Amino acid sequence: MLAEIAGLSDELWNAGGSMTVGQFRAQVLDKYPAMRDKKFKIAVNQRILDDFVSIETPAEIALLPPFAGG
Amino acid sequence: MEKVHKPKKVFVQGPISPDFVAKSIASHQSKTGIGAHAIFLGQIRADQKEGGVVTGIDYTAYEEMAEQAFHDIREAAFARFELTCMHIYHSLGLVPTGEISLFVFVSSPHRRAAFEASEYIVEEIKAKVPIFGKELTGDSGHVWKENT
Repeated sequence: MLAEIAGLSDELWNAGGSMTVGQFRAQVLDKYPAMRDKKFKIAVNQRILDDFVSIETPAEIALLPPFAGG
Repeated sequence: MEKVHKPKKVFVQGPISPDFVAKSIASHQSKTGIGAHAIFLGQIRADQKEGGVVTGIDYTAYEEMAEQAFHDIREAAFARFELTCMHIYHSLGLVPTGEISLFVFVSSPHRRAAFEASEYIVEEIKAKVPIFGKELTGDSGHVWKENT
């Protein structure tokens, strides 16, 4: 659902210095305002992290919409 | 020595067939220490949505992370319950209404561990594995499914 908003399934994100997960989330919402009313978690190198955690670059970051397995 | 459980393939393309479930049961006949199997099957429900009735779910996953999450759930279940063996299969791609998308199969010497482990595993999968489901409705509509 987030890929539908962005129009792509992955992209290269230029950090321009160190940032936290929360700062990254803010940048994503700036670029894609339609994601503001979507719920998603952020996984860095396949681990879901809280907003205060710093992202060590380079990193694989994933936006994870609500899970629907089962 | 600790028993090491190798990562197993969980994802299958499309629905899980009843024949596959039957064969899985049959393949345990030689493991005579088992006294109880518990099986959970998740089936696609024809929910009524705004855009119409659900005709199927198209599953995708963040696969690498999902495989790791399944592995962690397996390890935790083996640590918590007295299990002889455990198999988990989940569909990717389209699963039509009425067909099976999740197959959890646990075996134990005794029933209590089998019952409890199967519930634990299913709840953990729903909460922790990055699998996404697009519920298809009508001709071209869809709603993204969300576990509650």
